[in-house]
Amino acid sequence: MKVGEIMTRDLTSVEKDISVKELIFILDNAEMSNMPIVDEEGKLIAFISAKDVIKAALPGYFEMLHSASFIPDMNQFAKKLGQIADEPVEKHMHTDVICVEVDDDDLQAADLIIRKNLKSLPVVDVERRLVGVVRRIDLLHHLL
Amino acid sequence: MIVTVTPNPSVDVTYWVDRLKIGKETQEEYLTRATDSSISAGGKGINISIFLARMGLENIAMGFVGGYTGHVVLRALRDEGVTTNFVWTGSGETRTNLTVLEHGHEHVPILIDGPGVAVAESEMNRFMRRYRRMLKVAEWVVLAGSLPPQANLAFYHELTELAKQAGAKVAVSAGASCLTHCLPAAPNIIKPDIREHLSFEWMKLRTREEIISAGKRIVQGGVEMMIVSHEVIGDIVITPDSIWEISARVQTTQFRNLVGADDALLGGVIYQIYNGAGIEQALRFGLAAGILSAESPEKVCMDIGQIEHEMANVSLKRI
Repeated sequence: MKVGEIMTRDLTSVEKDISVKELIFILDNAEMSNMPIVDEEGKLIAFISAKDVIKAALPGYFEMLHSASFIPDMNQFAKKLGQIADEPVEKHMHTDVICVEVDDDDLQAADLIIRKNLKSLPVVDVERRLVGVVRRIDLLHHLL
Repeated sequence: MIVTVTPNPSVDVTYWVDRLKIGKETQEEYLTRATDSSISAGGKGINISIFLARMGLENIAMGFVGGYTGHVVLRALRDEGVTTNFVWTGSGETRTNLTVLEHGHEHVPILIDGPGVAVAESEMNRFMRRYRRMLKVAEWVVLAGSLPPQANLAFYHELTELAKQAGAKVAVSAGASCLTHCLPAAPNIIKPDIREHLSFEWMKLRTREEIISAGKRIVQGGVEMMIVSHEVIGDIVITPDSIWEISARVQTTQFRNLVGADDALLGGVIYQIYNGAGIEQALRFGLAAGILSAESPEKVCMDIGQIEHEMANVSLKRI
């Protein structure tokens, strides 16, 4: 089966200059955990997840710790999140975005989702315009 | 690609009842138990998107959604194969529209439409960026339905201008006040909402003569086609070259659900024109789709074969 036959036909996406605060609003309302980022032509240029925002808001020394239990409380996290809230998502997005084309096989999408541990995968057309997303549940739903 | 815009979508809840009693009648609280019910995504542009998808035409639906009912709208559209591109609003839930159909009186439904939620300036800006992006792939844009509370009445005018600049054709189906603001941008097709009081700033549209007179004036301004549902089973269509009366040989008592029938009509006309059909074929197909939708308990007709069969019952007269 082609990816285009199993994907969720949704174009929810953001531009690279929107703020982190706006991104959180959209992720929350749309119940998404990550978001494709497109240019003014609708072409996929990057990707950002809620996890990326959390990482950006954690204290700088967090990477050196083995456990979050070393952090005294959530105040530092909240403070840092407040500091980056008005920053453009461009500052925290990934440009090495993994995606599939609409005519690719569903197996290719499944392979990427499993190997890269992704919750969803943007789908683009031959001109790299965003045309949908494949979620883990899309694969399961269509395999049954 | 066809892009539809529904600025004020809804969740349409329909109840079928044997007999509807209301408090005024009984002077006491009275429970009416429905014999059947349905929930669907609604709003004029959304109905047209679903109709087009059922005809096999890929299309993208845009607009504003909010809250739990916003998710209901998106899920229903995606299940129909419509691509969604909606802006989330933070000011409340997408509205719910209620229809009550009493057995034997389905042709006179009781309709209660919610007002919808206001859209913040930042959300409107977000929509406009997405809309400009969609214009890069749009050949037709359908702007349909009411505007959210407090929205600028010139909203459709701006969207029409941008679409035409991008080389897309535009159809607008809305109330007269919204259409009046939109006319200077000269959409290709307009369809005034017959459920509202029909009048343009300079003229009422009560009689056949008034509709024709207003239509002639409107097409002089650049609109290529004005479709007005003058009677339940008939329309007047005005183009720069011709005036048409289209009607169907059916009894209104055969109607089972009028909600969405008007949208199936416009969807049918656009479907045919998009596929290169002439005006007569498009109008016949459109009215047949509208009539079949009205005769079906479902909002919009699903079966292209049935529509083509029904076209034999549509008469078209040039006047």
